[in-house]
Amino acid sequence: MEKKQKRAENIEYIVGAEKKIQDIITDAEVMPILKGAVKAGASSAIIADAQNKNLWTCGSHPEGSFFTETLPVYLEGEAVGKLEVAGDSKDREYLRGLSGLLIDTIHMILHTNLKRMLTTETHTTVVNKSYEELLEINRKLSISESRYRELAENLEKKVQERTEELRRAHAGMLQQEKMAAIGQLAAGVAHEINNPLGFISSNINTFSKYVSRLKDMVAFYNASLGDSRVPESVRKSSRQKWDALKLDFISSDIEELIKQSLEGAERVKKIVSDLKGFSHIDEGTEAVIDINTEIDRTLNVLTHEIPEGTEIIKDYHPLPGFKCNPALLCQVFLNIILNAIQAKKLTLKLFISTGYNNSRIVIRFSDNGRGIPEEIRSRIFEPFYTTKDVGKGTGMGLTAAYETITGYGGTIEVESRTEEGATFTITLPVKRE
Amino acid sequence: MIEYDELEKRMVLKLVYYGPALSGKTTNLLRLHDLLERKGRGDLMVLDTKDDRTIFFDLLPFFLVAPSGLKIKLKVYTVPGQVRHDSTRKAVLQRADGVAFIADSQLSEASNNFESFSNLEKNLAIVGLDIEEIPLVIQFNKRDLPDIIPEEDIKRVWGPSGMPVLMASALEGWGVIETFRNLAELAYQHIDKRYELKENHGLDKETFVLKLTRRPDEAGNNTVKNSIRT
Repeated sequence: MEKKQKRAENIEYIVGAEKKIQDIITDAEVMPILKGAVKAGASSAIIADAQNKNLWTCGSHPEGSFFTETLPVYLEGEAVGKLEVAGDSKDREYLRGLSGLLIDTIHMILHTNLKRMLTTETHTTVVNKSYEELLEINRKLSISESRYRELAENLEKKVQERTEELRRAHAGMLQQEKMAAIGQLAAGVAHEINNPLGFISSNINTFSKYVSRLKDMVAFYNASLGDSRVPESVRKSSRQKWDALKLDFISSDIEELIKQSLEGAERVKKIVSDLKGFSHIDEGTEAVIDINTEIDRTLNVLTHEIPEGTEIIKDYHPLPGFKCNPALLCQVFLNIILNAIQAKKLTLKLFISTGYNNSRIVIRFSDNGRGIPEEIRSRIFEPFYTTKDVGKGTGMGLTAAYETITGYGGTIEVESRTEEGATFTITLPVKRE
Repeated sequence: MIEYDELEKRMVLKLVYYGPALSGKTTNLLRLHDLLERKGRGDLMVLDTKDDRTIFFDLLPFFLVAPSGLKIKLKVYTVPGQVRHDSTRKAVLQRADGVAFIADSQLSEASNNFESFSNLEKNLAIVGLDIEEIPLVIQFNKRDLPDIIPEEDIKRVWGPSGMPVLMASALEGWGVIETFRNLAELAYQHIDKRYELKENHGLDKETFVLKLTRRPDEAGNNTVKNSIRT
């Protein structure tokens, strides 16, 4: 049984394949006919194949004188065997008629069975083939259907993502333009201040020298007053005048004033220089910078914004040079620091640490402010998202930071616990593609 | 070739009548059945059809014996012409030794003819037969109808292919035997090349073709001795 099935699978049916008589007709079909012939008076009825091998036998050869009628069995018009009906010689005519009836019946069964087999075989072949083809078509359709469904499902998400990207990009551009404008303004102001500041410092220095000469002269006069040749009245009036003009205080204060003025001018000079540096108006779009320096520069610019009593704890480690647009990077630091400052007005502690690990620069800003509530934590990098009052915040600060950092292949993440502050961690790959 | 048994001296060949739906493939076989001598062939077996349309195939078997004793059985089949029965066409076309392409001469059927012919080309390739090699004759049937494509047009289009092109009206009974004869000749040449029917079996082309295409009035001269049903 198993063997038969295996053959059926392996052998391809060929329309026209030759069939043997015993393939087409079964014992159950043929034996009742032969038995019927014997019952009707024949001694024996035999069907043999073309090689005279008996296929079906019924009854036995009669003894004595007997008659045998032999008729060919046809299949598809070809003689493939014979029917032999034997009986008593005296029944010759009867046996002939019986044989004729028998052979017609057998032919009819053969013909009907063959037709049925051919029909069934063709039908099965065609159905199997069609089924295989349908399976294949179905398989391909399923693949394409799932692809289209995936496309359809993702389309909305994709559109949202793209829209978001565009919004970010647009916002980023606005921010960059704003920065450029501020930078130019700062550079212009700095340039204008630098000139007067130059002659102020220079003049104060010269003035300091002049003053010391004058002081020398005054000291000389004072010493000369002690001469015995000077009349007492002159000495006395000079003393009175000196006291009235509080020249003791003035001569001690004058140096302090000059010193403070010089220090003030120096500070202005530094602020202007930081402002210029911060805006990086003097540099091209890209430069190799030291991030530690840039953070300090940002802090300097923010000096007036940082509330009194704020404690800034720095933990800097040496960093490799980082190639970037320094103005953009400073803007990132500025925005994060500003957020920290605004998060807590009093007793703010700001920890800033930098480090270098696995070819990535890691910068961390931690504050002890209010923290960022969990429900908005995922939204803080969204453009125009702000918790500040209308007009106070643009909702662009962290968006710009995000754009800048990811633009350099870096990451920016926030960890926060409500009322325990927030930590922004920036990583930047040193070797960019 | 369906089978060749050297020991039993038996060869079974297959010829296939191909063509578009309703071009007259079954009618061709019916006419061969009616016109040819009963000796040397079996009866036409028409498998179950629906509304006179072939859905499986029709079969007309022929028999002849070469002087060497080689028994040759030639089975002539029709395929179902309707487009939907392509799998059946492929099954019937397997191992064919020759194809008669029955085209419909009506002008309105021109595109169906071309479609069916390219289907034949495709299916021959699928069942592993080379269209350049296989014996192939073209019959333009239904010449008795009006609005048919002119013979000179047919000759102009098909002439360069080198294939025999025959005009016929299966309904009126002419051109049918000529088509079969042409196909038998080509099939003989094809088989002779490989099996040397003349050299090894003493069967020449003329005898082969004559035995297959004998009309009843010619029968008296050539009696077939073997066990052929009458």
